[in-house]
Amino acid sequence: MSDWEPKIVAFLCNSCSYGAADLAGVGRMQYPANIRIIRIPCSGRMSPKFVLSALMQGADGVWVSG
Amino acid sequence: MDKCIACGACSQKCPKKVVNEYDAGMSKRKAIYVEYAQAVPLKYAIDDTQCFYLTKGKCGKCAETCPTGAINYEDRAKDLEFQVGAVICASGCKTYDPATHDVYGYNRSRNIVTSLEFERILSSSGPYGGHMVRPSGKNEPKKIAWLQCVGSRDVHIGAKGYCSSVCCTYAVKEAMLAVDHAKDGLDAAIFYMDIRTHGKDFERYYNQARDEFGVRFVKSKITNIVPTEDGNQLIRYIDEYGKLAEEAFDIVVLSVGLEVGESTLQLAHTLDIKLDKYNFVSTTSFDPQATSTPGVFVCGAVEAPKDIPSSVIEASASAGSAGSFLSESRWSLTRQKKLPAELNIRGERPRIGVFVCCCGTNIAGVVDVPSVVEYVKNLPYVTFSTQGLFSCSQDALNNLADIIKAEKLNRVVVAACTPKTHETLFQETLATTGLNKYVFEMVNIRNHCSWVHKNSPDIATEKARDLIRMAVNKVALMGPLNEVELEINQSALVIGGGIAGMQAAKTLSRQGYHTSLIEREKQLGGKGLDIHETWQGENVAENVSRLIADIRNDANIDIYTGGHISHVDGFVGNFTTTVQTTDSTVDLEHGVTIIASGASEFKPEQYLYDEDDRVITGLELDRKLTADDPVLEQIKTAVFIQCVGSRIPARPYCSKVCCTHSIKNGLTLKKRNPEMNIYILYRDMRPYGLREDLYREAREKGIIFLRYNFEKGIDIDYDGDNLQVQFTDTIMRRNLAINPDMLVLATAIIPPEKNPLAQQYKVTLNNDGFFMEAHAKLRPVDCSTDGVFLCGLSHGPKPIDESVSQAIAAATRAVTLLARKTIAISGTVAEVSPQECSECGGCVSICPYSAPSFIEASARFFPGKAQINPALCKGCGICVASCRSGAIHLLGFDNDQIMSQIAAIY
Repeated sequence: MSDWEPKIVAFLCNSCSYGAADLAGVGRMQYPANIRIIRIPCSGRMSPKFVLSALMQGADGVWVSG
Repeated sequence: MDKCIACGACSQKCPKKVVNEYDAGMSKRKAIYVEYAQAVPLKYAIDDTQCFYLTKGKCGKCAETCPTGAINYEDRAKDLEFQVGAVICASGCKTYDPATHDVYGYNRSRNIVTSLEFERILSSSGPYGGHMVRPSGKNEPKKIAWLQCVGSRDVHIGAKGYCSSVCCTYAVKEAMLAVDHAKDGLDAAIFYMDIRTHGKDFERYYNQARDEFGVRFVKSKITNIVPTEDGNQLIRYIDEYGKLAEEAFDIVVLSVGLEVGESTLQLAHTLDIKLDKYNFVSTTSFDPQATSTPGVFVCGAVEAPKDIPSSVIEASASAGSAGSFLSESRWSLTRQKKLPAELNIRGERPRIGVFVCCCGTNIAGVVDVPSVVEYVKNLPYVTFSTQGLFSCSQDALNNLADIIKAEKLNRVVVAACTPKTHETLFQETLATTGLNKYVFEMVNIRNHCSWVHKNSPDIATEKARDLIRMAVNKVALMGPLNEVELEINQSALVIGGGIAGMQAAKTLSRQGYHTSLIEREKQLGGKGLDIHETWQGENVAENVSRLIADIRNDANIDIYTGGHISHVDGFVGNFTTTVQTTDSTVDLEHGVTIIASGASEFKPEQYLYDEDDRVITGLELDRKLTADDPVLEQIKTAVFIQCVGSRIPARPYCSKVCCTHSIKNGLTLKKRNPEMNIYILYRDMRPYGLREDLYREAREKGIIFLRYNFEKGIDIDYDGDNLQVQFTDTIMRRNLAINPDMLVLATAIIPPEKNPLAQQYKVTLNNDGFFMEAHAKLRPVDCSTDGVFLCGLSHGPKPIDESVSQAIAAATRAVTLLARKTIAISGTVAEVSPQECSECGGCVSICPYSAPSFIEASARFFPGKAQINPALCKGCGICVASCRSGAIHLLGFDNDQIMSQIAAIY
């Protein structure tokens, strides 16, 4: 087993998923540290360009939640 | 309380474990605790009945642990005194306790739970972490049953005679969630007497549960529940054909009803307000928030059992009723904040300051804060970086302002907790230094990092570095944004002169605003003119006449009868509506719009309606009752048919009022002539809430209720003289025939076929043709288009009391806008570069808030290009993502800003 860890870019909607991530913290729910959260106002803001850009720059995964 | 930062260290150290009421006793909490994760304010409190220190004088661990010194053992419950002009009673209800008169074996088995306990079982913050298991063995259930009407619609000892109104829909919801939660399939069955999904869109939800989720609905009467040898529960019941049957389940959920708590009795006594026989606060249909004591108003489930949308509507209505009393003193106690002039930083090289918060040990206990601060110093454009113990404390905020000035910072990053609670605080501090509040980014290294990666400090530190680097990249590209203020025209327009519209106009005027009211017909009153009595027995004609007189005599209300709207222009704060009446055309300028355009009674093309005079609709019977029509004297047998045109595939909603209406009219006929035979043919009887008493009275008085087989339908036979109603009764499974002298069709409430208002005011209609609210539960009278509000039948079928509440609520919501006099527009809105716009109209059609439009063809600059009205834009960015020309920019979340964050990750 290598110790490789994927890096995942997470686009979270400010109105729902971002708050959910906050609540996960309040509840001290432990999860792997592989995501890097980018707050967007709404998942409607999401553009395919962001996904492509993330993948091109080396992201192992892109997560859009809203 | 100001010192508590909700880190939870006290709770971790507290040695005393207590049964957690919030999890319905299924888990433990500490003696120092927050009741639930979403509590507002998020502050820990000491349970003084359990705390060792407060009960025995020793322990004090929480005070030792608390990093901010927030523990105050001397804090005690205090009596506070306020001088007020009005009081609103919103003390709510509690659920029926099935343990007291334990008919179902609730005390015997852990696998028999109440619906609230089941909510906690399903919840991810609940006792089993959202893993749906049986409370006894923690294994996953295969079969779950819901038993309806536990403690409701039951006149036996301990139970309540009324319908609790919400349980059918919540059971449907729980069953659907349970099916979703089950990994290997779930057999969900709801045992019911009548399914009462009478709320807006609830019938669709019920259909979805049955047709798409496979939830079984078993019409039944439960006899008892016995435990089986394998630990399951055997439900014995009488099925819809009157036969005994039984079936075993892994979990039985008791759908418990709602009732008034003991503390409300005390409150009612203190406020000297009248309660009904069930201890709900007594009200009337035409002033549904007023109690028997002037100046005391009521809202929510303390008035009658009701769901969230109705409670929220009543909340606005009671606030508005109280506000009408107090409108003269509006703004008399407010103070204005003074800010320095804004610095111009345009063209300056970024000078970024990064402030990393330790949050006591909440962040610093996991993330290596000093190393992060050192790391950050080397990032581009960062000229200053420091750490703070609590960045949100007042001295830290003063310090932040001083550093911004001393270091001449023109961009700021705070790495601390969540922007959702703290962004405003820091932005206000920026504003006190003259910096624009938008040259700011917040990084959440607590909730998204230290709290969730407690056991991996190195990885958490690396993540914190990454997140801050991303924010630094972004903030360098942030510039000052404008928050423009728009004036709000201080008058209102109400569309529709029915009960709802008139009530809305009256409320607006009482709140001090000039109001115009448009009615299509020559006469005011709408459908109220046709209705005989409310379900509570109030004379509708008298009350409608009083409303008409009230608004006609009000100098602050202009009435345009026989008018229609030919043109609408503008947006929140500045609408112009052109009204045409027979003799004039008027342009009305108004800041807010209330739509109360109503609905009508469905006229069927079946059951010989319009062919035989004896076949009439419900409202036609009302007119006969009001007119005291001599025809009524001749009638020996009357038949009512329910759900004519409702709950059918073409119109799959419940019209809500018809069951109660038919019962009420049946009782009125019985009162006039006790010998009359009255039959009501129904699918589910839905006299919800306190209306159940009428249903019981009707049965006692001899009105016969027959549940007909809907699939087989009803035939009307006509031999040239006699009418014969033929149908199949579900209990007897026999074909029955009745020969009535009057056949009353309880027909649907239908919206207009074409509704130009939707287009004119850019508001959406739902699938059934009623106006759609911005949020079914939280914003039930607002439209998603700002400045437009809804009430009455145009929003959905509802009885008079609910229309009146909604009208007052809509007017009150409108007043919250008008009272501000100006609207501040957020800086984070979308903006079009007209040179790049290809005029495709994508943004115009996709925006849910109607913010984009085309610049007029006659305009001097950029005719035909898109423009976005910042007053309507909510900054969601849908238009930006959909713009194929890349012509739209979302200020504060523009492409380059988000791209810079992505680039900073690697």
